[in-house]
Amino acid sequence: MLGWEFPPFFAGGAGIVCSALSEALLAKGVSITFVMPSGPEEVYDGLDKKLSTSKSKFKILIANNKYRNVKLTVKKIDSILHAYATNESYDKAYKEVSLSSDKNKYRGTPLYGKNLKQEIYRFAEQVKLLAMEEEFDVIHAHDWVTFPAAIALKKETGKPMIIHVHITEFDKSGGLHADPEIYKVEKEGMDAADKIITVSNKVKDMIVDKYYADPSKIIVVHNAATPMNEEIEYRAEAIKTTDKIVLFAGRVTLQKGPDYYVEAAKKVLEKAPNTTFILAGPGDMLHKMMEKTAALGIGHKFIFTGFFNREQAEKLFSMADVFVMPSVSEPFGVVPYEAQIKKTPTIISKQSGISEVLYHTLKVDFWDVNQIASRILALLSYPSLHQELTHKGYYEAKNATWDIPAAKCLNIYDEVVAKGGQ
Amino acid sequence: MVSVCFYFHVHQPHRLGHYSIFDIGNHTDYFDEHKNRQIIDKVKEKCYLKTNNILYRLIKQHDGKFKVSFSITGSIIEQFERFAPEVIDSFKRLADTGCVEFLSETYNHSLAFLFSKDEFKEQVLMHRRKMQELFNQTPTVFRNTELIFNNELARYIQDMGFEAILAEGADYILNGRSPNHVYNAVNAEKIKVLLKNYKLSDDVAFRFSDKNWQEHPLSVEKYVQWINQINGGGELVNLFMDYETFGEHQWEDTGIFNFLELLPGELLKHPDNNFVTVSEAARKYPIRDTVDMHNFVSWADLERDISAWLGNPLQQAAARALYDMEKYVKATNNYQLIATWRKLTTSDHLYYMCTKWFSDGDVHKYFNPYDSPYDAYIMYMNVLNDFARRVKAELKELGLLQIVSGEGAALPEKIHENPSLIFSG
Repeated sequence: MLGWEFPPFFAGGAGIVCSALSEALLAKGVSITFVMPSGPEEVYDGLDKKLSTSKSKFKILIANNKYRNVKLTVKKIDSILHAYATNESYDKAYKEVSLSSDKNKYRGTPLYGKNLKQEIYRFAEQVKLLAMEEEFDVIHAHDWVTFPAAIALKKETGKPMIIHVHITEFDKSGGLHADPEIYKVEKEGMDAADKIITVSNKVKDMIVDKYYADPSKIIVVHNAATPMNEEIEYRAEAIKTTDKIVLFAGRVTLQKGPDYYVEAAKKVLEKAPNTTFILAGPGDMLHKMMEKTAALGIGHKFIFTGFFNREQAEKLFSMADVFVMPSVSEPFGVVPYEAQIKKTPTIISKQSGISEVLYHTLKVDFWDVNQIASRILALLSYPSLHQELTHKGYYEAKNATWDIPAAKCLNIYDEVVAKGGQ
Repeated sequence: MVSVCFYFHVHQPHRLGHYSIFDIGNHTDYFDEHKNRQIIDKVKEKCYLKTNNILYRLIKQHDGKFKVSFSITGSIIEQFERFAPEVIDSFKRLADTGCVEFLSETYNHSLAFLFSKDEFKEQVLMHRRKMQELFNQTPTVFRNTELIFNNELARYIQDMGFEAILAEGADYILNGRSPNHVYNAVNAEKIKVLLKNYKLSDDVAFRFSDKNWQEHPLSVEKYVQWINQINGGGELVNLFMDYETFGEHQWEDTGIFNFLELLPGELLKHPDNNFVTVSEAARKYPIRDTVDMHNFVSWADLERDISAWLGNPLQQAAARALYDMEKYVKATNNYQLIATWRKLTTSDHLYYMCTKWFSDGDVHKYFNPYDSPYDAYIMYMNVLNDFARRVKAELKELGLLQIVSGEGAALPEKIHENPSLIFSG
């Protein structure tokens, strides 16, 4: 399996997906060698520790027999490739590494590629060399940064190649345009793949429409729910004595629709002034949002948290009365599952992939601020509705286990192995 | 001898529009007249006019030997009167043949029997007056909304003077007995209970066009043969179904109209067979046994119970909120307010809030004008909140508010899950 992130370090949901999917596949008896680009050494200290101290599933071992031993091997290739890498962000990271005086912090070998494109192809070469030592049956590559590596590996070994599309370049820009270089890498991966897994029908439509991918080789495998720590609870009494809490949690970027959230808040507060809105997460629109709430005269009803870690996420979800995900474009969007497991009813945009599989939620058009506001008010006004969505939503998310997508992946493995790489 | 009793159910609700929380206090256009009209226009063309014509021809063709019964709700009659008066006339023409009988039911297709016996009785009487006015008939056989039935209802209907009542011939009620006899109910010895033969009814209503059904395609000959086989094992076959089976649920290209046109002739080939209306069925055959239905049974879903309307807490909360308002609404003595409230008693509003279909298939979804049952609940509660404010304002103007609610009250700004709290809050 080729990926670019693995918990505990991640920038988006894909790392959690890789880990949860891997665990479920391990449980089904699949051995996995997880190869990923590794950044500065210290970042992975924690991961190494976790993997080496875990008792069974995460032993660092070389897997060699198909479907027999339950083993997961994580292979690292030293690289500064990053989850949501863009040309600009890569350049920045490259400069940082080059200029760093602390040579121990960034192990100098091997040399990093001079730009993003060079780096992913360098990564591809490294993967090829490394994987030659491995025995495996299927290449399963997650998102575009690993596609060249998958192609190289397929060429070298003739093994069937599956790509797993969690997000496309178009999604990151709200569906309008794509970086031509990244687009090219994505498209080459799709063309070379024996099977393409997409995390929603929405992504499937996108890659058929924008990348001309062959629909007959695309299989939709919806993500499942992230396991949560149900012990962690946070009551937020200081706020809750007077107010109900509405939560947005995610990157504060165009893609996630934070501005619609703020506009809906304005409307909600006109009817229900005892409501506190949390806008949690970092992002390039954060300052704009702060300014906007001030301009609308609702700044005092807003809390901005900036970046939050997993434990803080657990607390945020448990203290909220309503969770809102007004994403403009969301290939899947696993966060509503997390809120529902923490017993918070959700409002999600119809433009999200998860809306294809989530029923016990309120679905809105992200641009329809009135609709978002009226659904928030309904959840705040009608206790039976709140209870019912809390209750049914909880079981819905709990039942969305990774066993289901893992079984689908396993079927795909069997199919491509039976056919042989093409 | 086998008598075949056809009974068709005719109903469309006044659907609500997308009434948002922000609409409360601003406007009172609760009902989506555009959509309601569109639906009436559609079903009138696909089903009502066409099927009524076929039935009329069949009655004439068989010299009055072909007979059917209808229940038509006040909800759909009001909409026919506004949008499609020619449909009313075509039903009148059927009534004039003397071969068509109209049943009694609640005017608004409501669950009033479960919540308010007073309201139930009023709606039954309203419907009776409408049947007298339109068709010059006084119904003597009752069918409750969605064939919801239990012993208590049977007794109540018996005491209201009806001679028969319809019910679902559910397996767990019959316990191996045949639906093809007349029964009575525990504590309701006199009333005749006519039970739906759900197998033969659903063969037409649900399975007729199902290509996966091993009997597909269903020929008239085969169907009549099944009915003939009952001879000896029963005397009455009750084929109860939604009238929109013809042309709407089963489209014309399935051959459903052809099936209907050939059926009477084929059935009457056997000299022992005949058609009866519901009251004829009740008079013709004696009570053979007793059914005991303590809990409510209905003709909906696999469960054949009332869970399609009251199965989740939202449906229960909405129904409670509605009926808790009854005394305030009626105290206004305002015809329009009472009529609006009654439109809200139509069971379809609760049906749209059913969440069973998430796992149980898509019958509910097909009939649901909302994206989700939760949206249906929100719209309904928003409407009730606005409506309660209007009723309160009216009572205040009449100087009745304190008398009705028992305490003085200021107009609250708050939106309530049970809007009757508005009267005391």
